[in-house]
Amino acid sequence: MGIPTVGISIVREYSEKVRPPRTVFLKWPFGHPLGEPFREDQHFAVLAQAFNALEAIQKPGEIWDLPFRWRRQQYLPPAWKSP
Amino acid sequence: MGLMTRWKNRILASLGSRYPAFARWLSSGYDPLSLEETPWAPVDFRVSEARLALVTTAGVHHRSQKPFDMNDPDGDPEFREINGAAIADDYTITHDYYDHRDADRDLNVVFPLERLRAMVQAGVVGGVTGLHYSFMGHIDGRHIDTLVRQTAPDVAERLQRAGADAVLFTPG
Repeated sequence: MGIPTVGISIVREYSEKVRPPRTVFLKWPFGHPLGEPFREDQHFAVLAQAFNALEAIQKPGEIWDLPFRWRRQQYLPPAWKSP
Repeated sequence: MGLMTRWKNRILASLGSRYPAFARWLSSGYDPLSLEETPWAPVDFRVSEARLALVTTAGVHHRSQKPFDMNDPDGDPEFREINGAAIADDYTITHDYYDHRDADRDLNVVFPLERLRAMVQAGVVGGVTGLHYSFMGHIDGRHIDTLVRQTAPDVAERLQRAGADAVLFTPG
């Protein structure tokens, strides 16, 4: 039995061809799969979506297009960070 | 590969990071390995109960480890084992094919181990393994076979020995 995986992609065409089991895609610059340096809430937002995809995707090769608009997106702190 | 070629790769990488449309144009000329059938391991747990490992292709490694081969135009199919306890204070990135200046400043941009630890602390992730794995994502030509037949299966076995319930892949 293998280990379940989920991947972050920033080149959708590659993921469509390689067809890894579960993918979240971001139309973001190379070198920034989690976002910008020191933007914790942005990183947590991407990770939360990746883990949602890990739990939810049932169809091998499925790609979720995440709606985050790079710097124009407002990234709220995750609920678990609230006091 | 000569110094001039390495400079050219770095300049293209820098332009690609600054101008995503240019990066897409660059990457459109590359034909990656295409799989007909996707390997599948089902998830029968919640992430809040799972121990996660990271595998990156961002060229991260410890400073004492041999840098990835930047002289071979087909890249480098080998991997580096990352000690999760030490990587935050002891890392460098060898990868000429993307602009890693932001990842040099904050490793979480490509290898979010510190963020995963915060999620473990909060109880939204079950745990993280002690060991993680890193490739340099430019792997082409004859090295694809080495990756598929040798180094990727080796990493999969090591991940199982490390107790990983699931793996998050991050690119550079």
